[in-house]
Amino acid sequence: MTISPVDLLAAGAAMCAVWMCGVGGLTPLLRLLGVQTALSAVMAAVLGATFGLPHYYVLALVVFAVKAVAIPVYLSHAATQLQLRRDDGVLTPTALPLFLGCGILIAGYFLAPRIAVPTMGYTGAAGMALALLLTGMLIMVTRRLALSQVIGFLVLENGIFLYSLTQTHGMPLVIEMGIIFDVLIAVLVAGVVIFRLNRSFEHIDVTQLRGLRH
Amino acid sequence: MNALVLFCIPLLMALLGLIRQTARWLPGAVAVAMPVQLALAGWCCLHGWAQPVSGSADFGLDGIGAAFLFITTLVATAALVHAALLLPAERRESPEISDRQLGLFYTLAGVFLAAMYAVLLAQNLGYLWIAMEATTLVSAPLVFYHRSRHALEASWKYLLLCSVGIAFALFGTVLLVAAQHTLGAAASLRWHDLLAHAHALDPRLLRLGFIFCLLGYGTKAGLFPLHNWLPDAHSEAPAPASALLSGALLNCALVAIWRLAQVMQAAGQGDLVRQLLVPAGAVTVLAAGLLLVRQHDLKRMWAYSSVEHVGLLTLAIGIGATPLFLLHALNHSLVKVALFLLAGSIMHHYGTKALKQIGGLLRTVPAWGVLLAGAGFAIAGSPPFGTFLTEWLLLRDTFAAREYLAGGVVIVGLTITFLAITAHLGRMLFGRAAAVDRPAPSAAWSFVPATLLVLALLTGVCFTPQVMTVLLALTRIGGGPR
Repeated sequence: MTISPVDLLAAGAAMCAVWMCGVGGLTPLLRLLGVQTALSAVMAAVLGATFGLPHYYVLALVVFAVKAVAIPVYLSHAATQLQLRRDDGVLTPTALPLFLGCGILIAGYFLAPRIAVPTMGYTGAAGMALALLLTGMLIMVTRRLALSQVIGFLVLENGIFLYSLTQTHGMPLVIEMGIIFDVLIAVLVAGVVIFRLNRSFEHIDVTQLRGLRH
Repeated sequence: MNALVLFCIPLLMALLGLIRQTARWLPGAVAVAMPVQLALAGWCCLHGWAQPVSGSADFGLDGIGAAFLFITTLVATAALVHAALLLPAERRESPEISDRQLGLFYTLAGVFLAAMYAVLLAQNLGYLWIAMEATTLVSAPLVFYHRSRHALEASWKYLLLCSVGIAFALFGTVLLVAAQHTLGAAASLRWHDLLAHAHALDPRLLRLGFIFCLLGYGTKAGLFPLHNWLPDAHSEAPAPASALLSGALLNCALVAIWRLAQVMQAAGQGDLVRQLLVPAGAVTVLAAGLLLVRQHDLKRMWAYSSVEHVGLLTLAIGIGATPLFLLHALNHSLVKVALFLLAGSIMHHYGTKALKQIGGLLRTVPAWGVLLAGAGFAIAGSPPFGTFLTEWLLLRDTFAAREYLAGGVVIVGLTITFLAITAHLGRMLFGRAAAVDRPAPSAAWSFVPATLLVLALLTGVCFTPQVMTVLLALTRIGGGPR
């Protein structure tokens, strides 16, 4: 079995996500998010060349500009403003999420044939996309800060994007743009809410938000 | 094209809300404009469904879309007409609400309404997803109108849980595209294309896609156990926004589930739809009933009751009773909007939303007491209101579909709900009258809830078998009476 560059890029993105599980500092976390998203943008360009789909180049460019650069920069700006450096998560052995992430990666590898589209030929990438999706959820549930939950959400979203790139001949460009626009607005709204949370609670630790229990 | 007319008033309202100087007259102007919008919606729906959507359109008005478009407009009209009384009154008393905040409410409400229209008009599941996510993004700041800590926490929870939920729906939608690899042709997310090629889709990916979409839109609809955010968001939002969230947005999410269920039916996967939706609906009804028992907060109580009705509506989709789905959604929206608007007025009058501190309503404000009693009985499913009729028919159909266990669970859930609501209402209506040092509110405050309650009564009284026939024709895929 030969490994295509697409599968390699998908594996790279998934590795970044797993690495993120074990990282506590927000700056490296955001850098890894940027690298991971940039890899998916490169993949869009490679697939565009492979299938001769010119609109994939546009998509690659927009994904790179918005999701790989603008969003991580905005989030790291927010982290600086809020004077946040680290988020070591809710689990006491801080390496545990890393092991769980590795487990997810292996599970993704073995589940790949079940969710892949046979005619597309990127079975490995489908598994990596699934791994990204699950890792995003893992990051969301194992972190304390509202900001890291947004990062987890973006990893999850990258997984979906990776799946749509490698397993379909692409959604129409208008729909892809609409999705990216929605994600961008979601991050901006979340950013505003995070600043508000910080102002009224003087922290953004979501595990401490317990005002609304029945 | 004529459905575009409907976007004019909401978007104009959104623009005017951005200008600070309009805060003085905007609530009144919107209250006058919304009935015009309702008339326009009625006109559009009557004309729209006579010309069925062509298969190649991404947006269009079909039977089910038209019906829910009208319900949504009705809900928005009621909520925004009442808001013209409630929001300025609140602002006069609490100086922390600024003109800008009031304007922003109208901006967000306008965009929110437009996004819900887009959800209902979308004939392409991709656009449907985009519009659905847009509704979350505009309504989350709407929840934060009162700028309290609780409201902030509720909007964060709402934004995050619904965004993740809806991300699952996106994955499901992508899986529906992937399922078309068997066709050989270019993939399409148009609902009519999916229906036409349903039997040729890859069943494995189609089933997986449906499950993910159900998870996603189910979160948005508040199905148990994904309902967690709903009571927080619906109770912390200002009353007119709660009415929009409960009376209109939940329906939109259910319409998305309905559309996907039709694709599954066409693909011969109806069994899976039934196996998933019937238990999900029944368990939601029971869980909401149990959670209703221990409520201390007026608006949270109605929020849990919305969860219960979402369960009933999901059950209706699951057993394929589309006319009942539509009719019950209408009944629920009418009554629930009346209840949320009354709750907003009562909270404003008493200055609290704790059930314990609201007592003797029948003596302090008799008109509201009578309305609350009526609407409370209606939401609990008592005759002669429309809700009784649709719940009864739904139970009959559930047993006719041989879903005995689900039917039994629903009966238990409905009984608990009825007892819980009557117990809570009894304390509020009779009980010891709380001392309130404010003048009795004018009759105008009762106008909208009373109108809605009369409508809910009419849907119960004027129901004939012919109505069912008309609804069946209306919800037939692809249009209405030709």
